Amino acid sequence: MNRRAQSRSSGLLLSTAAALLVLVLFTQLPAAAGPRGYLKGAMAPLAVATSGFLSWGGGGLAVLGDASRLRSDNQRLAADNAALRRHLAELQAAGVENADLRRALAFQKSFGHRLLAAGVIGRAPDGLTRSITIDRGRADGIRIGMVVASGAGLVGRVSEVAEHSATVETLVDAASRVNSYTQQSGLEGTVIGEGGPLAMELLPRPGVVVAPGESVLTSGIGRLFPRGLVVGQVTRFYRRDSATVEQADLAPAVDFAAVSMVLVITDFTPAAP
Amino acid sequence: MSRLAAGLILLLAALLQVTLAPRLELAGAFPNLVLLLVAGWTLVRGAGGGIRWAVAGGLLLDLVAPGPLGVHALALAAAAYATGFLQRSFEVDPVLLPAVSGALATVVYNLVLIAIFQLLGNPVAFLPALQAWVAPSALYDAALIPVVVLLLRRLDRALPEPVAIEW
Repeated sequence: MNRRAQSRSSGLLLSTAAALLVLVLFTQLPAAAGPRGYLKGAMAPLAVATSGFLSWGGGGLAVLGDASRLRSDNQRLAADNAALRRHLAELQAAGVENADLRRALAFQKSFGHRLLAAGVIGRAPDGLTRSITIDRGRADGIRIGMVVASGAGLVGRVSEVAEHSATVETLVDAASRVNSYTQQSGLEGTVIGEGGPLAMELLPRPGVVVAPGESVLTSGIGRLFPRGLVVGQVTRFYRRDSATVEQADLAPAVDFAAVSMVLVITDFTPAAP
Repeated sequence: MSRLAAGLILLLAALLQVTLAPRLELAGAFPNLVLLLVAGWTLVRGAGGGIRWAVAGGLLLDLVAPGPLGVHALALAAAAYATGFLQRSFEVDPVLLPAVSGALATVVYNLVLIAIFQLLGNPVAFLPALQAWVAPSALYDAALIPVVVLLLRRLDRALPEPVAIEW
């Protein structure tokens, strides 16, 4: 009896797995992106409704009343703090960089882009990918590759678009790579998402050391991101004399677990990755 | 339980998974509601029923998750099979078996996800993911699953499957 049940469920698993594997491989083809987007778009209104209901209901729960108020105050203060830190980093960056060079690089333009506000309606169901879903899609002019930021700094890039929703691959996603530079020491490198904290690989320059607390901003190299968006702050710098690249740990500027509203930069055309 | 009731429960769980569950983060992990339902249903009704719930719940989860369709369904089906194997192999204990099954299902689900991401060209750093995400979420799911099994048993009794009339 036990053995028969075992072989029945093994057969069911094998046939199911084969069918699902075909579905995975088929729906990841670029040609299937359209139908996949429409199917996912059909679920977006339900996600918007659930997200709205939770926001409404979350505040009303008596048990969580005080905790919720304190948490929202805390979030507001944290957001204010992050915005002030970003402002400071941008002002310091502006002071450090040569004004003519900034004009030449259209550095100022990076802060004068056209922005489209979007609400966060969902997050990745697993902790391995750290993407978010926003309530703006193709109908609002969102395209794959568009850069997404928040008041605190860079959030990520649009990786999938449906009619009324889009998926944003965040900085902390394992697949994320962002060309950046340290604001005071001026070292360039790549910020790598590792699912939680950020790591940065820096090209060393003799005698140059990165101090903890130093801000990291997008360098604009590769034209995937505009120059000058705040990525995070250095928490630890690893100096190894024999290394061809230096390493640093970063704290992201954006709290990805708490972000509820983002801004999509609609007039920056990123280069193809 | 009727298919309609099962479908509605799984739909609600998939929606809550992407909206509510990430807010319940503890020690870097948050629960997987669809996985808990699939593993719980496997303990109530066996691997066959669990795999069917895994496909339905997984496809719903795929519709609200980034990436191609079928990824979560495949990972959940493997988790249901592993749970069913554990259930058949060991004596039924009302707390220990669900807790161990919940942890095992979480580990299998995440390992299959990591393998699929690798196959699709989006590799995940294996050891950091195991340490920072898989281990704490296995503990989280293990702590929650006994309650889920209890609720599913009650729901199964309250919403019996319609009897098919055969001629």
